[in-house]
Amino acid sequence: MEEYKVELTVNNEKISATAKPEESLLRFLRRNGFTEVKCGCEKGDCGTCTVIMNGKTIKSCITLAMQANGKEVLTVKGLEKTKIGQKLQESFVRHGAVQCGFCTAGMLMAAKGYLDTNPEPDKAEIRKAISGNLCRCTGYKKIVEAIYDVAAENYGLVGDINV
Amino acid sequence: MNQFKYISSKTKEEVLKILEQEKSEACIVAGCSNVLPYIKDRKLPAKLLLNISDIEELNYVKKSEDEIYIGAGTTISDLINSKIIKEECNVLYQAAEQFADPTIRNSATIGGNLADASPAADVAPPLLVLDAVLKVESIDGKREIPLKDFFVGPRKTVLHDDEMITNIKIKNYPINKNGCFIKLGLRQAMAISVATIAMVLEVEKNRVKDVRIAMGSVAPIPLRLFKTEEFLKSKEISDDLIKEAIQKVREEVKPIGDVRASAEYRRYVSGILFKRAFKKLTD
Repeated sequence: MEEYKVELTVNNEKISATAKPEESLLRFLRRNGFTEVKCGCEKGDCGTCTVIMNGKTIKSCITLAMQANGKEVLTVKGLEKTKIGQKLQESFVRHGAVQCGFCTAGMLMAAKGYLDTNPEPDKAEIRKAISGNLCRCTGYKKIVEAIYDVAAENYGLVGDINV
Repeated sequence: MNQFKYISSKTKEEVLKILEQEKSEACIVAGCSNVLPYIKDRKLPAKLLLNISDIEELNYVKKSEDEIYIGAGTTISDLINSKIIKEECNVLYQAAEQFADPTIRNSATIGGNLADASPAADVAPPLLVLDAVLKVESIDGKREIPLKDFFVGPRKTVLHDDEMITNIKIKNYPINKNGCFIKLGLRQAMAISVATIAMVLEVEKNRVKDVRIAMGSVAPIPLRLFKTEEFLKSKEISDDLIKEAIQKVREEVKPIGDVRASAEYRRYVSGILFKRAFKKLTD
């Protein structure tokens, strides 16, 4: 089986590894220790595998590991080091937006990715922003409110991709 | 799993050279949102994955005097963010907004959606009513294919295996400005459509001056409803006209039943979607 060299940055850490051409970025990340990126449907439907690559949200299960070569990837562990990530986490906990927790990583990444493009969303826009992320537990309401609160309180903070 | 090879290309020229050598052994990948599931299902016969997602010269939306050009590598998100698409081809903008979900829109490309050629491809009905023309290139040259001649069956197109779509051309007809796209799915996002309709309409003195209608998921290919269009042209707009046109639509579509809906329902709802779109554009 032919493996190719992949060099990328994950959460500001340079990673140098190899991957098979058909390997998804999801499997590659998990294989290299980034198990905070969850594996759900592996078909692009559920969104638990959502990460941010070069500033945009992507579903890592339907992206090739090789396509991340030379790029910057942010996972939820990188997000929690940022101010906005911590505020999102705290808001999720406060609102009861985490039950089993399996969708949470993907939800946080989708939220962060969206707030970077629109720092002042209304709830309808937030629902649309997480429309690619499935949750079986919460009924979505608390997740939407948690994200909305962060946007409303942190207008100056969100929208800055470095925060 | 198959034993694949991988090349990431930086230029269009390089892609065409590789296609010429590898032909159907190569599979172009951009967003990869359809291809990776095919690989997992062992449905991809190709041996080489040819990545074009980093080729900047394929990602653009340009407007010249009377034409709009969209690079095949333009993502659906880029279409939504394009002022030109929103203002000049709003029916395409409406489709882009309902395509999959915001995250997949960051990866999926307009060229990929067309080349994959699902009968449910969401960019196809709008591009059909915009009379889009595809620029298709190989190492030997280029040709133009009107989109209405591009699809031949589910996941089958007239592309040769050494060719790739490089751009989509839309002529800036005034009728393009008055357009509507409606998607009917089993949910509001991440839905493979049950039926979609795209329509552009020009009305003069309460008569249909010109109309173009296309539907997705109701035939083996994304379908222009030429017979219904012919029926409507120059007719006076009335409730009776709409009733008759609904019948024509139901006669023209060729749906199948599948996990999402029965053929009967698709046939029935095609008429409803026509009415909704027509009323939206005439009110």
